[in-house]
Amino acid sequence: MDKKFLYYLIKRVLLAIVTIFLVVTITFFIMNFIPGGPFQSEKSVKPETLAALNAKFGLDKPLGEQYVNYLKGAATFDFGPSMKLDGRQVTDVILEGFAVSAKTGLIAAACALVLGMVFGSLAAVYHNKIIDRIIMVVSTAFVAMPSFIVATLLLWLFCIQTNVFPPNGQEPGGLVLPIISLMLYPMAYVIRLTRSSMLDVLGQDYIRTAKAKGVSGTKVLFKHALRNAVTPVITYAGPMIAFIITGSLVVEKIFVVPGLGKYFVSSITNRDYSMVMGTTIFLAVIVVIMMLLSDILYKIFDPRVDLS
Amino acid sequence: MKKTFALILALVMVFSLALTGCSQKGTKDDTATTGTTADKGGSYFGASDDEIVTRPAITDKVAESMTICVGPYPDTIDPALNSAVDGATYVIHAFSGLVGYEETVNGALKLVPDCAKELPTVEAREDGMYQYTFELKDDLKWSDGSDLTAADFVWSWNRAVAPETAADYGYMFDVIDGYEAASAGEGQLNVTASEDGKSITIVLKNDVPYFFELLAFPTYMPVKKDVVEGNDAWAISADTYIGNGPYKVTEFTQGQMVMEKNEYYHNADAVATKKIVWPFNEDDNSLYANYKNGAYLFIDSVPNDQIDTIKAEYPTEYKVTGQLGTYYVSFNVNDPAFDGFTEVEKVSLRKALGLLLERNYICEEIGKADQKPANTFVPMGLSDADGVTEFMATANGGAGYFSVNEDDYAANCDEAIALLKDVAESSGKFTVADDGTVTGFPTMKYITNEGTGHEQLATYMQGVYASWGIDMKIEVQEWGTFLDTRKAGDYSFARNGWLSDYNDPISFLDMWITESGNNDCQFGKDAHATYAGYSYDGKDNLTWAESYDKIIAQVKASKDPAERFALMHQAEDILMSTGAICPIYYYTDQFMCDESIEGSFVSPLGYKYFMYAYIAE
Repeated sequence: MDKKFLYYLIKRVLLAIVTIFLVVTITFFIMNFIPGGPFQSEKSVKPETLAALNAKFGLDKPLGEQYVNYLKGAATFDFGPSMKLDGRQVTDVILEGFAVSAKTGLIAAACALVLGMVFGSLAAVYHNKIIDRIIMVVSTAFVAMPSFIVATLLLWLFCIQTNVFPPNGQEPGGLVLPIISLMLYPMAYVIRLTRSSMLDVLGQDYIRTAKAKGVSGTKVLFKHALRNAVTPVITYAGPMIAFIITGSLVVEKIFVVPGLGKYFVSSITNRDYSMVMGTTIFLAVIVVIMMLLSDILYKIFDPRVDLS
Repeated sequence: MKKTFALILALVMVFSLALTGCSQKGTKDDTATTGTTADKGGSYFGASDDEIVTRPAITDKVAESMTICVGPYPDTIDPALNSAVDGATYVIHAFSGLVGYEETVNGALKLVPDCAKELPTVEAREDGMYQYTFELKDDLKWSDGSDLTAADFVWSWNRAVAPETAADYGYMFDVIDGYEAASAGEGQLNVTASEDGKSITIVLKNDVPYFFELLAFPTYMPVKKDVVEGNDAWAISADTYIGNGPYKVTEFTQGQMVMEKNEYYHNADAVATKKIVWPFNEDDNSLYANYKNGAYLFIDSVPNDQIDTIKAEYPTEYKVTGQLGTYYVSFNVNDPAFDGFTEVEKVSLRKALGLLLERNYICEEIGKADQKPANTFVPMGLSDADGVTEFMATANGGAGYFSVNEDDYAANCDEAIALLKDVAESSGKFTVADDGTVTGFPTMKYITNEGTGHEQLATYMQGVYASWGIDMKIEVQEWGTFLDTRKAGDYSFARNGWLSDYNDPISFLDMWITESGNNDCQFGKDAHATYAGYSYDGKDNLTWAESYDKIIAQVKASKDPAERFALMHQAEDILMSTGAICPIYYYTDQFMCDESIEGSFVSPLGYKYFMYAYIAE
């Protein structure tokens, strides 16, 4: 590893810490400024009970003090107890949910990337032929369809109408449909990215040179062309993987997968402050790590990239 | 004499919510889709001497396990902290209180002794209070095999009201002497366990008719001190979640809860099914898919957009039962949009706006769950002083506060327009044409939280009012914001709903006193505080605080049931005279239950009882 690369890494990690600090600070204050609080319900609790609850979770202290206390905890990845899920530590809930979401998400992300690049390359090679047309129509459809439509459609087709897969992520085979629902959009997106950059690369001089020198078609495609065409896919893959492995509210709800996805939304609806902070920081960390990884991958795939 | 009467009532208080059990087969016209006694005009709680059901002797020929889904991963299953319906269902399977429910031969529910040997009679004390002494059954045990004594009840109840527990439902103990001090952390409830731990004496400020119901309520169930004390996380792990009920929790993850038969339960012989699996699921479409393919044998909600298909396809498995609740629209009595009108004019305006809504249409086309159109605030199902008739059957002399008869809608509209005309004349602030078209009416702001039904109702109201020339703005707010806005009174009118936790109208009435946290209408606050237009105790021209607040205080202090109920009727009359409460419909509970399940039942609080259920093989 050269020195320049090391400097680059250190700089990026420091920047990442600043980013996360900003995320924590902004989220903390915005969260406290929106109306409502964690202990509301249709039947309002008695003022004494509310006071006791606020004291229990430290919400009776001044906002500044809460913020400092919070930062101290967050620095050690201790996000405190959930204000809604009685007796649960936020860190435990996140890790438990993440274990499930990450498993589903990683498989989906891997499938999306591999299939996306294969189909994308195919479409580029058979540019303007029937295969290209089919691939493009299908991938446009998948990009355009939101996940709740895809998931509901799959549920209706394979669970209600034909009973091929169980409608429940916890049963054997139950993760097939959630994985498909999760991967269709990124796959379609990767197809389009690969296709266009591949078309660009395939038209370049060095490809023509390689072909003229008698290098076989597949070798040209996978060794020379794909390697250069993959850069936009890497840019996309970083954040995509970060979001896919932290779970999807819609897909997990429809297929009963006890993952992390629902907490991103329910914590805000419930004003479960500690859970809001926990999930936000967790997502921020994952996104930052994935972006860093994709930057490093650039360098590996394309040595011309200047990291400084 | 009256005291004895009340006592008998309390003793025989039963739910007569007909045919809610899953086991009722082949009575299609009674069960499916329309099936509560309320349809026939009865109370959910009728006095009944019905025998409880005798179940067939338990053989090995029942299914090992049942999969029942009643909701998502619960916020808590700690009996003291729980305030949710699904949480309560888990709690009643894992715990048992002094009193419980059983199904009668007529498919009704009846309060029966659970941990107690029998239901005792009340004793009047010299200090004017009342007391009950419960003898516990012999050899009561926790699910870990250790002994359970009367002291466990005493400890658990004091824990539930202690301020550091901060339980939403701590107020359920407010009938017991010593509650005020205990809830302030300065004393204990006046509840004592005998030396030998076999009996428990409870001192009540007032012998309320619903006390045995409270004893069957999850908040009153005992918890084990050793596992609970000092451990906030006791209720999230199967290892420490020790109960005394028919089942014990053996697995509790984000995905599901598994309960197995508790061999130490005092009535374990009656528990037939070895295992109940409770998967956590909250997506209506997914619930339905899982029900359809047989993975779940019971689901607690259904996709409303498919309700017609479901009714056609599962005429006997889709069920609707009554609930103790009212869906209504609350008006802000201090709404600045109506500034400049007198209080009397405001009442007419609110009443007119309420009368213009066609409740039958709302139930059929928007609610779609066989709700009943409402013309009272205290809903159907709650009983009156005699314990048999419904409170609402005698509301406003028996007619309700307006007609919800389908044929009377046109007359309601005429009345509304007449009211508007009067106000138009007296105030001169807007005009009403001969055909009823209104011009110049102030624009009102309606707030509602997100939700298909709520938003559809808002749109419907907007359409109705627009057809008469009245403008209404809709503001759909996210839940947390909505609760805040509504509580603060920053609206003209708002979606609202209230469900009771026990069979007594007071829980619908004491929420409207000036200082109540649920006084969304802002009665007795700001400008309304000085309006003296109410009557009480023979005096007229009283403010809200001098009338309504006083009546409620008197209800709470009253020791005479007849007087108590008469006062509650008076309170509802005053409440409805403001026009600020506009009832829409009475809530119902929808669910689907597989026909193979026998012996389960449902309470009007929405709790599902599967402890004696089984699937014959």
